[in-house]
Amino acid sequence: MRQQYARRTQVLACAMGLLALAIVVQMTRIQNSAEAVIFSQQAQNYAYELKTYYPDRGEIYDRNGRLLAGNKTVYEIGVDLNTVRDPHAIAFAVSAELNMDYNQVLDVINNPPDGISYLVIADFIEAQQAFNLQELKKALQEQAPEGTLAGLTGLQFKPHPQRSYPEDALASNIIGFVTREGRGYFGIEGKYDTLLSGNAVQVLVPTDPNKAFEIPRVQNGTTLILTINRDLQAAAEEVLYDALLTYGAQGGTIVVMDPRNGELLAMAASRRMDLNQFWNYNVIYDQSSEFNPAISKPYEPGSVMKILTMAAALDSSTVNPNTTYLDTGSVLIGGVTIQNWDQQPWGVQNMVGCLQHSLNVCMVTITSQMGAEIFYDYMDAFGFGHLTGVDMEGEVSGRLKVPGDADWYPVDLGTNSFGQGVTATPMQMMMAVSSIANNGRMVMPHALYAMVRDGRQYNVPAQFAGSPVSEATADTLSEMLAISLEAEASLALVPGYRVAGKTGTAQIPVNGFYDSTQTNTSFIGWGPVDDPQFMIYVWLERPSESIWGSETAAPVFAEMAEKTVLLLDIPPDFIRHQLVAK
Amino acid sequence: MNIPNVNHYIHAYKVAPWRIQRQWVGSALLVVVTLAMVATLYLIVTSQAAIAGREIQDLTYSINLSQQVSSNLQTRLASLTSASAMERRALELGFRPMESDEVEYLVVPGYAKPDPFILNSQQLQLSALTIPPEYNQSLLDWMDENLLSTRGMQ
Repeated sequence: MRQQYARRTQVLACAMGLLALAIVVQMTRIQNSAEAVIFSQQAQNYAYELKTYYPDRGEIYDRNGRLLAGNKTVYEIGVDLNTVRDPHAIAFAVSAELNMDYNQVLDVINNPPDGISYLVIADFIEAQQAFNLQELKKALQEQAPEGTLAGLTGLQFKPHPQRSYPEDALASNIIGFVTREGRGYFGIEGKYDTLLSGNAVQVLVPTDPNKAFEIPRVQNGTTLILTINRDLQAAAEEVLYDALLTYGAQGGTIVVMDPRNGELLAMAASRRMDLNQFWNYNVIYDQSSEFNPAISKPYEPGSVMKILTMAAALDSSTVNPNTTYLDTGSVLIGGVTIQNWDQQPWGVQNMVGCLQHSLNVCMVTITSQMGAEIFYDYMDAFGFGHLTGVDMEGEVSGRLKVPGDADWYPVDLGTNSFGQGVTATPMQMMMAVSSIANNGRMVMPHALYAMVRDGRQYNVPAQFAGSPVSEATADTLSEMLAISLEAEASLALVPGYRVAGKTGTAQIPVNGFYDSTQTNTSFIGWGPVDDPQFMIYVWLERPSESIWGSETAAPVFAEMAEKTVLLLDIPPDFIRHQLVAK
Repeated sequence: MNIPNVNHYIHAYKVAPWRIQRQWVGSALLVVVTLAMVATLYLIVTSQAAIAGREIQDLTYSINLSQQVSSNLQTRLASLTSASAMERRALELGFRPMESDEVEYLVVPGYAKPDPFILNSQQLQLSALTIPPEYNQSLLDWMDENLLSTRGMQ
């Protein structure tokens, strides 16, 4: 009996063992079957989800903490094709809210490209519109019978950041803009694009929560603090706008810089663009140089160049402030006769009178005495023909022809001395003249004050680009320019503040000849002379009210300087002297 | 004299079939119980890890959402206090731009001009996600780490 039971047990055990073996064999067969690859692939599709983690683009602030460029949330609206229940309902809701074509949306949902499970219908949708659709979806789901899916099932919303410019067009020429693809163009956005954007991380995120450790760490972009003063920038843009209307100029720019360290405080351009609508770029600008003429539009600066010619002459001991010469109204150089702006002789003049009356003959005379080699060495040291290195995208350098160039002629030495036949951007002029305002040290202009990354702030130190002239030369020339402005009761004078500066009126070459009726008028000045805290450059293109810089750019300088001292809290000279005395 | 008989009984007891069967059953049960305990432990750890993983994902989502809301509010605040908006509001309130001859400077002893704005109040940003080792470390890793640290201490 016991043996019989034992046999039965053995048979049962064998049967179960065979069954188990059959299961294992079947499992192995399935694992290695042709369909296994397909099943495995399907499992992989659900096991991982490809996600791109975009870092927030770094913000941009002005020097007082005003946000100039930030981020806001917009939505990508799409459809999960696997869960769509009612394409008509989705097409109707989306087309109504987003003002899209119903048939087009429906057609896209019904005929999606092969091999996709998620279809993007619209992107960069404002938060309010996305919210409306989300609320509609929620309401429909609540109304649907229990256990059923409502019509907007499958409609999905993916938030992501988009660049936003709270000040709209203010300082647009400095900031630049970011396209929807996330690339920065022009200005700070272009120059520091890599820093600001950070690095997007694309990973396969497992749907298995046990593998949550694979969620990547995304480092946000670097936040930048600019040297720009927002209120001063607004004032500069207002002054420039008024100047364009008052003097009938076709364009212009105003730049305010701290000559002690090269910090750009304001930079206004006549054409500005609401950066939130960057797609209007082609409507507003005919060429890229118009976006920020101060750094990307070289021109013949005219008599403002005389500051540098005189600096070279003083520094090389060719002349001193009391050196006199007889001005006959014209001078011959390189076979060409150069005349004064009024084509009149000014008799015996010293170097202060030379600057005060902006005499071309004087400049040609002292340059001839100095010699081409010394003159061009100084111009090279002042940075002409080179980029300033200002930290904004789109800078170009002007051109300074030098002896040895195929198109350089001896007359160029004469014309270059008073700013014709040579091109430079306002930025180059400011950098060169900063050496006169800053005791002989030439600053490198820059717009970046500091970077903030990982909660740490890195301040950008001031950089200097050499000392083209001595401190004594710089001080002497500053005094000469201040005296010359006071002597002629210039419209550039600022009540309560002693300023130094120089006007410039440059004829514009048209079809190879200078047109005396079309000019670029300029003024560069700084103050207070004994402790320069601001330097302002004004350039007006083709003013129609007057062709002279002394009547157009000079009063604009004065107006801008008055606003600058107010906004920067620079007290009048006599108050400042009282403070120093105490 | 009685000792052989006792040994005989002891031997008979040891080789009794029912006793051998009980030993086999006991051993089998021990294996089953051990396996069940390991399985239970595994399930508990796995489920805890799963819950923790989901919580991390939720928290990450909340952090991202908070950052988005913060950015939106910051941008909106900047729009409301933009130069043009502030100028418009000031004009509506009856203010007008100041002329330079209306300014009166007073010498205030000890007054120092403030430095430019510095974002030094900004908090140190933590990393997007820092998972404690408890959530991604196996028991073997944990034991290994502890053994190493113990050896290091010795």
